[in-house]
Amino acid sequence: MPWRNAWIVMHKDLDEFKKQKFVIGSILAMPIVLGVILPLVMFVPIVTTIPLEKQWDIDGLLTIGTQPDDTTTPWTNQTIENTTLSLIVINHKILKNTLLNNCIIVSCILDNTTVIDSTIRNSTLSNSLLNNVTIIRSEGTRLDGRHILAVSSNLIFTKTKPSIIDQVLPMMFNMILMIFIIVPATLPTIIATYSIVGEKNNRSLEPLLATPTTDGELLAGKIFSSFIPSMVSTFLAFSLGVLLLDIVLIPKVGYPLLPNLTWILSMLLLAPTACLMSILSCVLVSSKVSDVRAAQQLGGFIVMPVVVLMLGVVAGFIFLSPIMIFIFSGLYGCIDVGLFYFARAIFNREKILTQWK
Amino acid sequence: MIVCEGLTKMFGSIIAIQDFDIEIPDGRIFGLLGPNGAGKTTTMRILSCLIRPTSGRAYIDSYEIGMKQDAQKIRGMIGLLPEVPGLYETLGAYKNLDYYAQLYGISKTQREKTIKTTLTNLGLWDRRNEPVGGFSKGMKQKIAIARTLIHNPKYIFLDEPTASLDPSAAKMIREYILELKSQGDTILINTHNLSEAERICDTVALVKNKTIKIGNPKELARGLFARTISITMQQIPPSLLKDISSLDFISQEQVNGNQLILNVRNPEEDNPRVISWLINQGLQVQFVTEEEHSLEDVYLKLIEEGGR
Repeated sequence: MPWRNAWIVMHKDLDEFKKQKFVIGSILAMPIVLGVILPLVMFVPIVTTIPLEKQWDIDGLLTIGTQPDDTTTPWTNQTIENTTLSLIVINHKILKNTLLNNCIIVSCILDNTTVIDSTIRNSTLSNSLLNNVTIIRSEGTRLDGRHILAVSSNLIFTKTKPSIIDQVLPMMFNMILMIFIIVPATLPTIIATYSIVGEKNNRSLEPLLATPTTDGELLAGKIFSSFIPSMVSTFLAFSLGVLLLDIVLIPKVGYPLLPNLTWILSMLLLAPTACLMSILSCVLVSSKVSDVRAAQQLGGFIVMPVVVLMLGVVAGFIFLSPIMIFIFSGLYGCIDVGLFYFARAIFNREKILTQWK
Repeated sequence: MIVCEGLTKMFGSIIAIQDFDIEIPDGRIFGLLGPNGAGKTTTMRILSCLIRPTSGRAYIDSYEIGMKQDAQKIRGMIGLLPEVPGLYETLGAYKNLDYYAQLYGISKTQREKTIKTTLTNLGLWDRRNEPVGGFSKGMKQKIAIARTLIHNPKYIFLDEPTASLDPSAAKMIREYILELKSQGDTILINTHNLSEAERICDTVALVKNKTIKIGNPKELARGLFARTISITMQQIPPSLLKDISSLDFISQEQVNGNQLILNVRNPEEDNPRVISWLINQGLQVQFVTEEEHSLEDVYLKLIEEGGR
């Protein structure tokens, strides 16, 4: 079976990993501190102090009274559609897809209509845009517009200025999400840099290299033995973080916000590819240097491409939308494939055995 | 069969081995003897497809060392015991052996059976899950040897197999090596232990970056040193040394107590002539023995000369 030995190498490394309690502790602690505790400490106070009310984006809106007093006017069946009317009085009509300019509209039903510089009385409106309009004893839903004087009317406007919480949450979510991308890119440096240098230091590499295991299998085994604990730990912290954030935010917004599509895609695509990129770079470094400490120092630079993404997000240049996630995941995935083939090409058993001290 | 023809390995300007020629027939134990840095480990690594020769050729069966397409096949046929056991110290003996057995593609049932037998023979079955980091050097070496043999390789390369073992463990390993030979395995041993090489090797090669001498450990001394006989007599008269020097087949003579020590060309022919001559002189001969030169004598003589 091709790559069978990669699977075996991975299992052995995971067996060794399970024995190292301090490493497991640090692998678990880091995502929880960065992905759960830090966001709660930093963002929860901000969210809990933001006022809840929404603010209408309609200049000069004045509402007097709450219900229209004449709702019994008989309606005709005449419908006016797809036309423009101006300087007329319209009574008892159904108006659809019309533009009304400088009109007096009485006892009409308006749907998907734009009304400018007009007066509306005893009417029902829906899906309409109003500009410089006086509305008397009418009702309406899903309205939009500006300079509206409403008298004894019940109007519901759908276009509202986003509340502060609506403005803060996406930024906050982006930042927290970046933590969950940075964490799996940082975590493997602990395990992956040790992968080959550690074998060399333990003098276990020579008998291993004398087995029929291919370079590709050995590298793949080392890569996935670092990948699995890093991603498991990240997913655990992610689940806990999402749960706690929802618990905090549900009283504010009324429903669970997380995980949304962006977060799910990030965890399924971006985090694993970033994690693999970091591991591959570490394995690459660790197959070229002879010392664990040197490998770990160099490993610190490896998360740079992910840090660049984070800086872009923090600076506001990059907003992590699903499309962005696909773009960056694809980019990271291509880098991962390139790094794997490069690592395999430069993996030199002879140099590792004879030049490492 | 293992064949090396003009095998040379250079690390930069440093010559590790040069024009190395050996031939190891199947089912033999071949010892590589030489000082540190003589190229013994390098030779073993080349034959294990871990490093490539700079020039020359080497074959294991019909597979050529250094050919990428042959490397996996060769690795599957050999078992390598490096100088240091190189075990995974946090894992138990069972997992250490099981890992390698899996890498060599041994089935689960066979692995379980082989490992149980091996660890039981080594007296480690009850401690199979203890981390091997806590084991003594000797125990680790035993496990490493078991790991080398886990896939029943046809060619076994042992780099200092008894170096860290106590005498009884070393004896056990030597007996095991001889048992492997009786099963038809071909064994290449790097060792500094000359008496061990003398006891178990069919052929030894004295190396110091190149092959200095190859041969049977016992025969090597015969061609190298004059053969010495020791004759124990009841009494040795003072004039004996002068008188016996007149015999033309004796190259050197000395007296040590009541022992007359003579260098002769061919003891099989010369000993009866010496004894007759002594009896004719009215002397009483009690014992005649041949003093053998050890492999250590051979090693020291050849390696010193090879170094010049």
